[in-house]
Amino acid sequence: MLVVTRKRDEAIIIGHDIEVRVLRVGRDGVRLGVVAPAEVPVYRTEIYDLVVRENRAAIASPSTRRFVDRIRRPASPRR
Amino acid sequence: MSTAVPGGLRDARVHLETAFGNFEVDRRDLVRFPAGLPGFELCRQFVVIAAPEVAPFQCLCSVGGAPGSFLTVDPRLVYPGYAYELTEADRTRLGATADAALLWLAIVTLTGSGEAWANLRAPIVINPDRMVGYQVISPDHDYPVRHALVEA
Repeated sequence: MLVVTRKRDEAIIIGHDIEVRVLRVGRDGVRLGVVAPAEVPVYRTEIYDLVVRENRAAIASPSTRRFVDRIRRPASPRR
Repeated sequence: MSTAVPGGLRDARVHLETAFGNFEVDRRDLVRFPAGLPGFELCRQFVVIAAPEVAPFQCLCSVGGAPGSFLTVDPRLVYPGYAYELTEADRTRLGATADAALLWLAIVTLTGSGEAWANLRAPIVINPDRMVGYQVISPDHDYPVRHALVEA
């Protein structure tokens, strides 16, 4: 892991086009400003990790299959 | 004179074996997910199977790459008034204009004990015009990650 010391109003550049700037340093937290290209989404890590965990839990399993079978309506009869 | 390749016609069809059964889908129905899904970054192509037998649910099935299929439901159906504002980054990635008709899918989790919930916090959004999709996570909304589904 790269570790750098930054003061208020100082920033780092990631790649060529992502800037992370320290806007405020408080006792309980640091306020960051991120400038990134329009197509680059920025997430809070804990939210992203939560979605990863939820997705992994949601992957279709035998109980999903049973649920689908249960709700599956009988198809109209074909002749 | 013919340049037809044996099986060329059949190549337009993709055979899928999923947790929901086996399906034949058309290549044109494949949706690109350039970022995969969080936790399934290698799943770059999905197909949405919306069979009337499973309505109002759909099956979101990974095609090629890592296997993975999910049950989904339109979040607006299970959460009246659901109004999720896409970020500029997500609009750009989806190539979505302001009035684009987008397909919204919330991933459904079913537990072994019979509970069911939908992830309304991180919906999957597909732009049918471009056949491209992303799972979006907006910082501006705190819709529940686990919205309980009740059987109708």
